[in-house]
Amino acid sequence: MVELKIKKVWLDRRVAGTAPTRLLLEKLEGRPVEIVETAETVRRAIRLAPDPVGESKKHLFVTEQKSFIRPCPCSPGCVGCGYWTIDLDLNCPFDCSYCILQKYLDCQPLTVAVNLEQLRAELDEFFSRRPAGIMRVGTGELADSLALDELTGHSYFLVESCRRRDGFLLELKSKSGLPRALLQIKPAGNVILSWSLNPPQVIKGEEKGTACLEERLQAAAEAVRHGYRVGFHFDPILHYPGWRQDYERVVESIFRRIPVDAVVWISLGSLRFPPDLMPLARRRFPDSRIYEHEFIRSGEGKYRYPRPLRLRLYGELAGMFSEYGAGDRLYLCMESVEVWREFTEKIKRGRRNSAFPFPWQC
Amino acid sequence: MVYRNIKLVDFNLDDRRYRFTMNPADRRLLRSVKEVGVLQPVVIVSRHSRPVLVDGWRRVEAALTCGLEELPALEVATTNDDLAVFLLAFFGNYGQRTFSLAEKSLAVRKFYEFRLQAVDLIERILPLLELPPERRMLDLMLEVSVLEKRFLEIMHRRDWKPVTAELWLDFSPAERTWLYPLLERLTHNQQREVIENFHSLQKKIGRSLAELAREGELAGLIDRLLKGESGAADCLLTAIRQANSPLLSRINKAIGEEIKRLNLRGVTLDYDRSLEKPTLCLTLEAGELKELRQTVKSLSGSLGSGGWHRLFELLHYEGE
Ligand code: SF4
Repeated sequence: MVELKIKKVWLDRRVAGTAPTRLLLEKLEGRPVEIVETAETVRRAIRLAPDPVGESKKHLFVTEQKSFIRPCPCSPGCVGCGYWTIDLDLNCPFDCSYCILQKYLDCQPLTVAVNLEQLRAELDEFFSRRPAGIMRVGTGELADSLALDELTGHSYFLVESCRRRDGFLLELKSKSGLPRALLQIKPAGNVILSWSLNPPQVIKGEEKGTACLEERLQAAAEAVRHGYRVGFHFDPILHYPGWRQDYERVVESIFRRIPVDAVVWISLGSLRFPPDLMPLARRRFPDSRIYEHEFIRSGEGKYRYPRPLRLRLYGELAGMFSEYGAGDRLYLCMESVEVWREFTEKIKRGRRNSAFPFPWQC
Repeated sequence: MVYRNIKLVDFNLDDRRYRFTMNPADRRLLRSVKEVGVLQPVVIVSRHSRPVLVDGWRRVEAALTCGLEELPALEVATTNDDLAVFLLAFFGNYGQRTFSLAEKSLAVRKFYEFRLQAVDLIERILPLLELPPERRMLDLMLEVSVLEKRFLEIMHRRDWKPVTAELWLDFSPAERTWLYPLLERLTHNQQREVIENFHSLQKKIGRSLAELAREGELAGLIDRLLKGESGAADCLLTAIRQANSPLLSRINKAIGEEIKRLNLRGVTLDYDRSLEKPTLCLTLEAGELKELRQTVKSLSGSLGSGGWHRLFELLHYEGE
């Protein structure tokens, strides 16, 4: 599991004396603890470090959230997948060179909310809606769903809160291993554990601190053996010399361990980022080559690979998955209507299956 | 503060410890000083028994140019330390105009050298300068402040933003020296683009700027730019952009050739050069019905040719 490098714990005064906070502190014995009024005090300390982003991952802020659930904003001009996010933790102990949170979170420390009773109430209200189709909800937008789990035990709470809620799928998305807690409870049919995957050398070079591919796949296989269904995210797919063979090997290794029926969805998304991430990431990851590529500035202002290349990446990966009968589990993440259209057309024509609208709705 | 007139010869103008502004005296100021002299007192402080200028560099420059002998001055008590005096210089200018990045860097350097704590610099001064209150920005400003004077001047004149300065610092001193004469011939936007594109091209292909510049097309264009040929700057930019974007350049070139081959009269074809939208936009131009009929007829006649097919294939091209 993740080795946490937390050097200081900051407690929001409002939750300083609560039972969940005390429990957390027991697991963080030996670290200096300071009680503060707001997160701003922590952010100030972080801003003074030479590498504020790296520093933010070494400070843990225990607090309460005002509200947890919101619709995923997707990206303007892209086809949204109707995802809902739960902002239970913010920031992530891992350090990926392409991570948008580097820019997005502005010196926010690793933040853990402990007012789970409020989340339970929000979830109850959320589940009381009767959606027409399936609604997906997950914690992996502003954090890694499982990276802090040994500390927080949030996955256990979430699985139990979402169990048997028809019409809803809870996704816990991660680049870490499998928390023991999830193996100690009965799996829930509507809980999907998912892993973001990339070839081993990409993980080694660009995803600092995360579990290696082997560990992620073993975790997924163990989850499936225990009775969970799983998902995979190929996001961001990176383009570099030899990418095809590398990704082919990853796809092969998935199905060597995991039966296709246990896979609920597979998302494909290629590298994209806002322009101001580039100088920051280049500075933080001087050995990374991912920003030295041909990009276009898309309608929503982000840099992306040119469309012909994105289509090639998606098309090739779709072909690889179809070999294993998993072509119908695919969907694109944050892509334009044009790319969706061309991608699904190709899938329909070439592989006789359709990924549109979305695999979990079919 | 004490008000008095001071002789220009008494100033120690070599002592520029409080100077961070970079604008020279302009024609308007020179004319006004010539006509009515310096009205607004400059600010001075005595150091080593000689008056040192705190604020009013442009006025002093204008007075010298106009041959004045003395100036009105407000003298700050000598007991004030350099930091306190510099705060006067800083706030004397603050709010009158926006500082350039080069001036901001010099101000930050002064505060730093006058021992303002890093935390105060980050939390109090950087926001005043509209810079993010982060350690990294402080470090960047300190790095910029010690660049060669000619580089600071070009940054000042062309109003660079921090990201451009950061890329600039990423070039080696030899590369900066090589780039400098090119930049001098470019506008603000062109400078930014040339720096960004050269930076990224160099990173992509892993060769030095000098090597890149010796290569065929670029070498010729750089030569033309240095000779002051009009239009050379735009051509150079197009060439570096294309070198940075080989896939799109190739497809766009092929599309351009197909459009030319179609040789349509009265019809303009346009499309999204980034190829995000794989569609063509056709504009028909006609002054009268007869002309429109002819245009439509020749357009529909052309549809049978393979050109249109190739054009759409290119728009939908999928590959590396
Ligand atoms: S695991 Fe996800 S959230 Fe964490 S650093 Fe990587 S991309 Fe960012």
